[in-house]
Amino acid sequence: MLQASMSGILQTAAQVPPREEEDRRLAHGCAAGDSAVFEEIYRRFGDRMKSIAWNYLGNVSDAEDAVQETFIKIHRAAKTFTGEASFSTWAFRILVNTCFDLLRRRKRRISEAPIDESPVMLGSAAANVDDTKRITLRRLIDELPEQRRSVFTLFEIEGMTHAEIGEILGISEGNSKWILFATKKELQQKWKASS
Amino acid sequence: MTITCQTLDDLLFDATPLAMETAEVHARGCTACAERLAEWQEISDTARSMKHEWRNEMLWPRIERSLRVERPRRSPWLWQIAAAIAITVALGATMAYSLRSQNQDAAFDRRLLRVSSLDRVDAAEKEYVAAISQLEELAGSRLEDPEQPLMVSYREKLMLLDDAIAECEQLIRNNRQNAHIRRQLLAMYTEKQRTLENVLREETDVNR
Repeated sequence: MLQASMSGILQTAAQVPPREEEDRRLAHGCAAGDSAVFEEIYRRFGDRMKSIAWNYLGNVSDAEDAVQETFIKIHRAAKTFTGEASFSTWAFRILVNTCFDLLRRRKRRISEAPIDESPVMLGSAAANVDDTKRITLRRLIDELPEQRRSVFTLFEIEGMTHAEIGEILGISEGNSKWILFATKKELQQKWKASS
Repeated sequence: MTITCQTLDDLLFDATPLAMETAEVHARGCTACAERLAEWQEISDTARSMKHEWRNEMLWPRIERSLRVERPRRSPWLWQIAAAIAITVALGATMAYSLRSQNQDAAFDRRLLRVSSLDRVDAAEKEYVAAISQLEELAGSRLEDPEQPLMVSYREKLMLLDDAIAECEQLIRNNRQNAHIRRQLLAMYTEKQRTLENVLREETDVNR
């Protein structure tokens, strides 16, 4: 009998993938306003959230505001988390929407906002690229429509996969791949003209 | 298998290590493609260098404070929103009722015009899709059991494009007036047409 109940427990455990369980724990914690859970989310995803926000908004101050607002929105919306996407994907989706909201609300594009050059560039790739190129590319990205800008930023800058991007933006993996290709072609033409 | 300058786009779309390696091999003997490939790579390298990281020990305490402030304010805030929505709906309904009779004729005319424009776009799209379907039939047998890596790549690209087209069509069914999605759909059809033409061209080259 003990064996039967043990195998039942094991079967149930096998049916619920650990990620889903973990995501549910985070969502419950957020809905309940559990400070420790929020801190855990911040420690795990905070750096990436800041980098994404920086690339949309162009300065540290606005990027930090966006991250802060995202946490408040996560707290408000945690009850509606369905588990269709992973918790991190869901949180990044809120962040991206928050960045676009801030851009629209403040009517301030990257080129108009104060550009903060203080953040530390990551990795050896940064050392091999000069600032002029970065500024040119940032200007070109800023001119892109929202969806193209998001796909390019999340794939090329943040190194996410098309599957992750698809979930964040609510599009298929194939569409994300297509949009990236079309965007890079568009950027290439402008890049050539600007150099 | 011959890699031509026209194939470069397909390899860049594919973007797998094998596709990029094939592109590089072709670029070694082609100045124009070498330049394009270098720019393509330069954009990716520059983008990768734009990832940013900085430390701010004050950010988490700030977020925590705002979350703490958020909690007690939640219910009155929700009531305020509910009240604002109720007032807005009431005002909106009154205004809509008074404006309705004035605008009915004009709206009817506009709707007729809009529907006729959308019908024209739909008809043109259907014609285009029919032409592409014919092309697809011609290329179909060649893609069924491809042996060459390029044909495999074409087939994958076409499958991806079909997925993306289906998604756009679904979005258009939900909102026929979304011009942005319609433009995106047109670009996808054009890309599909170009890819199918490449498949047919490639096969002709192989047979020669």
